[in-house]
Amino acid sequence: MAMEMTVDFPYWNPLRRRFPPDSPFFASGNVERELLAKQVALDLTEDEINNLQIIVETESRRISCPIVGCPERLNSLDSFEDHYKARHTASCSVCSRVYPTSRLLSIHISEAHDSFFQAKVARGYDMYECLVEGCGLKFKNYKARHRHLVDKHKFPTTFEFFKRTQLSKKRREKLQRQHVSKLKHEEDKEEGSSDAMEVEDKASVDGLVSALSTLTTSDTTPSNVSFGRRHGRGLTFVPRSVHRGKPTKSSSTPEPMT
Amino acid sequence: MADDGSAANRRDPIKSSVGNVAGQRRRQQAVTVAKERRESLVRAKRLCRVGANGDDDDEDPHVENEMLIDEDQPVLEAQTSKAVEELKSAVLYQGKGGMQKRVVALRELRRLLSKSEFPPIEAALSAGAVPLLVQCLSFGSPDEQLLESAWCLTNIAAGKPEETKALLPALPLLIAHLGEKSSAPVAEQCSWAVGNVAGEGEDLRNVLLSQGALPPLARMIFPDKGSTVRTAAWALSNLIKGPESKAAAQLVKVDGIVDAILRHLKKTDEEIATEIAWIVVYLSALSDIATSMLLKGGILQLLVERLASSDSLQLLIPVLRSLGNFLSVDPKAMLTILIGGKNTEESVIGVLAKCLRSEHRVLKKEAAWVLSNIASGSIEHKRMIHSTEAVPLLIGLLSTSPFDIRKEVAYVLGNLCVECAEGDTKPRIIQEHLISIVCGGSLPGFINLVRSPDIEAARLGLQFIELVLRGMPNGEGPKLVEGEDGIDAMERFQFHENEELRVMANSLVDKYFGEDYGIDE
Repeated sequence: MAMEMTVDFPYWNPLRRRFPPDSPFFASGNVERELLAKQVALDLTEDEINNLQIIVETESRRISCPIVGCPERLNSLDSFEDHYKARHTASCSVCSRVYPTSRLLSIHISEAHDSFFQAKVARGYDMYECLVEGCGLKFKNYKARHRHLVDKHKFPTTFEFFKRTQLSKKRREKLQRQHVSKLKHEEDKEEGSSDAMEVEDKASVDGLVSALSTLTTSDTTPSNVSFGRRHGRGLTFVPRSVHRGKPTKSSSTPEPMT
Repeated sequence: MADDGSAANRRDPIKSSVGNVAGQRRRQQAVTVAKERRESLVRAKRLCRVGANGDDDDEDPHVENEMLIDEDQPVLEAQTSKAVEELKSAVLYQGKGGMQKRVVALRELRRLLSKSEFPPIEAALSAGAVPLLVQCLSFGSPDEQLLESAWCLTNIAAGKPEETKALLPALPLLIAHLGEKSSAPVAEQCSWAVGNVAGEGEDLRNVLLSQGALPPLARMIFPDKGSTVRTAAWALSNLIKGPESKAAAQLVKVDGIVDAILRHLKKTDEEIATEIAWIVVYLSALSDIATSMLLKGGILQLLVERLASSDSLQLLIPVLRSLGNFLSVDPKAMLTILIGGKNTEESVIGVLAKCLRSEHRVLKKEAAWVLSNIASGSIEHKRMIHSTEAVPLLIGLLSTSPFDIRKEVAYVLGNLCVECAEGDTKPRIIQEHLISIVCGGSLPGFINLVRSPDIEAARLGLQFIELVLRGMPNGEGPKLVEGEDGIDAMERFQFHENEELRVMANSLVDKYFGEDYGIDE
């Protein structure tokens, strides 16, 4: 009865047991979740759509978006706010392009419309920011940044964020002209800058000089124009943006961004 | 922002042109109700890829879904190819009305891709849908175009692995449209597509992470409610599930994310809370920083409250799992539940007991696991459990429940009877607990485990028998074990192939049932 155990018995010792999230221990609890790993967004049946239409038809009054040149019509305050947020708070006032984040808008403005940006590029500074939030790297030119996006962040090689959109050149110029006539600027200047929408390396000194010269205020303002008066209401809705070569005394358009 | 001043100005014109405020509110409610109904109908139709059947669709409900697909699939595929061709010409078209053409073509393709749980993805891909859809996602496109395009991509991504991978060229744009300036439905649809891609596998998750998908997705869960929050949270949970920990580590660095998680767990409806709970599961399993931040924010109490108040299995599973993760990882968490005041103690054990009483297998098993970890703590922890209803519940489960539950229960009961060993000394038995647990009728269950083919279970059984033999007072141990056919169970190991078990069983038999056994009778 008093015989000692010859080998050390592995006595019960209370231990905390921990399992990684993909452990088979959790498999049965994960079954349903795994089924939801991918979800198809299904359409509604005819009946369902009809039922909904009856409800929605009671809500049919629509209002036009008050922003100059915007054709959108909205049916509630919520959808108006949605629309305004999407279309009119991150659009470039120079070329009318819209971006889904403020950050991308400001990158676009720097690269496409800002001569100081181009001046620094010409001097060899790394100005082209990586598009991925948090990365922080900058590059000397568009191509180098593109390479970085492909190599480091696994973007597809055909990727182009700042490509020309479907708007034809004619349409863009027409939009610009509408914009211009409301703001009472010279049409020439507008068309000139609308051509500069494509992102290019303006590395040449000539280009630089001519770009810089358009920043002076003296010859661009017709002496008999007054801003912000007749079209004050329209202007109240125009968002902050860069106005190159457009000195204004209107309260809603601030200094050019640098 | 200059808009703030102008915002006040712009609201006034809108209100007056729509009419009186009451009418306005009624109309808004109608739109909200319509949206919600649409959402609940769409969600009711969310189906999984495997094993889904019997969902209503607008076809004859008596016909099996499978058969339906066999008959109609070629037709569907032909229609899909045609729709992609239409889209191609709409995209190339440069003239007036181009936008409208594109939306019409997209809508047609989307309809074809959303009719059933087996969309004609392959047909769409071979016809070259993805590059066209990518073009339709470009910045400045009207919301309807963005929405339809993202919807098509969502359903393509819900297919087989190679079909999901086909979305690679679209990822940067989908991610970009998660931005704060996108309209809510567009952002939501893009997050849905991203979620499907993330759900495919680790490689795609890594691509998404390196393209910067995490921060914008994380910010989408900041609002208090809405279907967008729910979809984004689901997508986010897919993105961080690991098993690598870097996504979880990146998430916890997002400013305000811990607050948002705690806020949702506390107040939000169960559907959003379920997705958030899965995020917590992964954070607590993969990130120490997240674990300590969440604990500091009081997550244990929130988890306990959810366990107590909810009956939704979908919610209970991740909440319970999170609780288990916290308690298995962080010793501070264990302390928290101990010193957190009587309410907390009782509540933790109380909700775990509630899970033990549940009819759901997963809840029983994982609750027992959590209890086993608590029981592996200090004497105070063991006393905490031992004094409650949990013990009789556990003993009952030891006799009746399926094998995997019995194993976890065994861990709890055994842990309750033994103090943690210090250094090399033999772990000390807590006799009071051992006695009550044995007398409560747990011995047969343990001996049963010895008979099981599972090595781990057999080991547990033998270890517990050793406790009984060693620790029961007045030498009662051997008699009790014999009474339950314990000797027989152990002797089966005499020539067992597993050496460890053989040696364990034999040494017990030799020591306690040796030649001298029974001689004093």
